[in-house]
Amino acid sequence: MLNSSPMGPTSLFGEAMALGLASGPACVASCGPVLVPSSLAEGAGLRLNVRYLSAFLGMRFLGYLVFAALAWEVGTLLSVAPTARSLVFGTVHILLAGVLLWYAYAAGRICTHACAGSELVTIGPSGKRGVPGAAVLGFLTGVSLCPPFVAAAVRVAELGSLAAALFFFTVFFVGTSVWFVPFVGLGYVRRNEAVTTVARMAMVLVAFYYAYLGLMMLVGRSAYGYPR
Amino acid sequence: MATQDKRLPPQPLRSVGRSLLLTLPIAVWSLLMFGHFWQPDRSAQIASVTTAVFMIALFFMMMRTSRTYRWRRWFFVALGLLFPVGFIHQVIAMRGTMGIPIEEMIAGRTPFCYIPIPMLILPAALMKTVVFPGSIRPHGGMSGGGMAAMAGIWLAMTLVIGKGWCSYACFFGGIEEGMASVPPKAKVRKIDPRWRYGPWAVLLVMVLMSLALFEPAYCMWLCPFKAVSEYVAARNTVGTVQNGIFVLLFATLVIALPLLTKKRTQCAFFCPFGAFQSIFNKTSIFDVKIDRSRCTPCVLCQKSCPTLSLTDESIVKGETLMSCMKCGACVDACPKDAAVWHIKGTEVAVKPERARLMFLYAAWAMAIMFGGSIIAEGLQTILHVFI
Repeated sequence: MLNSSPMGPTSLFGEAMALGLASGPACVASCGPVLVPSSLAEGAGLRLNVRYLSAFLGMRFLGYLVFAALAWEVGTLLSVAPTARSLVFGTVHILLAGVLLWYAYAAGRICTHACAGSELVTIGPSGKRGVPGAAVLGFLTGVSLCPPFVAAAVRVAELGSLAAALFFFTVFFVGTSVWFVPFVGLGYVRRNEAVTTVARMAMVLVAFYYAYLGLMMLVGRSAYGYPR
Repeated sequence: MATQDKRLPPQPLRSVGRSLLLTLPIAVWSLLMFGHFWQPDRSAQIASVTTAVFMIALFFMMMRTSRTYRWRRWFFVALGLLFPVGFIHQVIAMRGTMGIPIEEMIAGRTPFCYIPIPMLILPAALMKTVVFPGSIRPHGGMSGGGMAAMAGIWLAMTLVIGKGWCSYACFFGGIEEGMASVPPKAKVRKIDPRWRYGPWAVLLVMVLMSLALFEPAYCMWLCPFKAVSEYVAARNTVGTVQNGIFVLLFATLVIALPLLTKKRTQCAFFCPFGAFQSIFNKTSIFDVKIDRSRCTPCVLCQKSCPTLSLTDESIVKGETLMSCMKCGACVDACPKDAAVWHIKGTEVAVKPERARLMFLYAAWAMAIMFGGSIIAEGLQTILHVFI
């Protein structure tokens, strides 16, 4: 298991934690356009915001583990045929855009006035049967390709076992998550029509960007139209 | 609220002598800035003198008539129209084209504009990097002054006049103000007030995207004024799409909607810098208040506001929203002199003319230094054709 890795668990832990902590600002930068507006579209209050962030980070962690397993299984995602890679990540980005648009719509449906609801905005059927939007967004950002992720995936591909890969990504996740703790403070931002409207408009703009990026990925191009 | 008497009462004119006396400090400042009569270049000479006379004359009229918006608008529209003239000429002289090639951006040979300032803060704080691809050195980049000088001027003036920057310094807003003043009446009068939050949404997204993409995302994708300054040197379809977005936003927000609504729609519903600048209305000591004891209320102030910065609720509270650009439209429009200039910490409507004068000296001094030099450069470019 972990001992089958050429490195011991302690040094593996140290490397993953260091990589996670060092990559944190880049992770915040990558997830910020999704996390900040969607969090502001929720109700106010520290407890609700902690629940939002927990759902987001929890499912982002699940995304990491799926990615870790995949990265280890296929050697490294970077060696996968560019067409298949673009197809996967292009689809993920378009899904992310769709969910953001739905979130913007659903947030308007729930937070019509004081926006003080104690439940998270849900995607799908209204009420308890819907899936919390934070969880869906967390998972989709978790499986998106971002620079810190690539760094971790390349390292994971060199590890000897799946367990070591999962362990590495778990510790890496914890390291990056430290940087997300200040986002709990968004719960203290007073919610009114202005904040909710700004958050919803922002989600629509970010959705357009992800949809565009996804489409460009599907045709094998970068955001500026150069071949990937 | 019902509209009552719409006729403006005749304003008593200030005496010529007193108006001249009040204009004297501004005249001295103008001559210091533009009095280069010994210049060998005749077109530069004429442009400087014309600009100085223009700025002094407008200030004199502000003093004589006690009106602000009507005269400020002439300056602002001239600034908006002449900025592209001078800028495009300079760009073409240096580069041979209005398009910026990527190599020029990487080399940092791009002129610095104040609009990305709010988008530079997060990347600089988290990554210790300025993401704008312009030079930080004096005389670096095409702007001459460079990034540091532009940021310094902006900060100093912003702390004093707050969002007044958007009415006395912005070299883009004049085009839409000009467009908004063309039709006698607005064709579209019902505007959902929630569009007022648009600039904040664009600001939020652009700050986050600039950090995520590590580039000034607004300049790359959404700036309407790229259409009249410098566009992307398109080398593929995406470059064409970027330029298409710039032109579409310009045609919609700066031309069509101001013509239909008589509002500064780009400033009111889109500009992220304007949203950022609103925050500094809290630091500025100047604001515009509604004197509740005089207000009827006829809502003429609300109708005249080019950025929807007055609502029924704010009038009841006797204040403007934080998006107020201190253009003076509401003060000029009020038939009861209830909309007044005000210095924070003083009583409302006690010597409002003194508050107006203090604000105007600061704002007009900046207008001369910043906008005036742009007007002079634009005029000089035009005069070069004939002389």
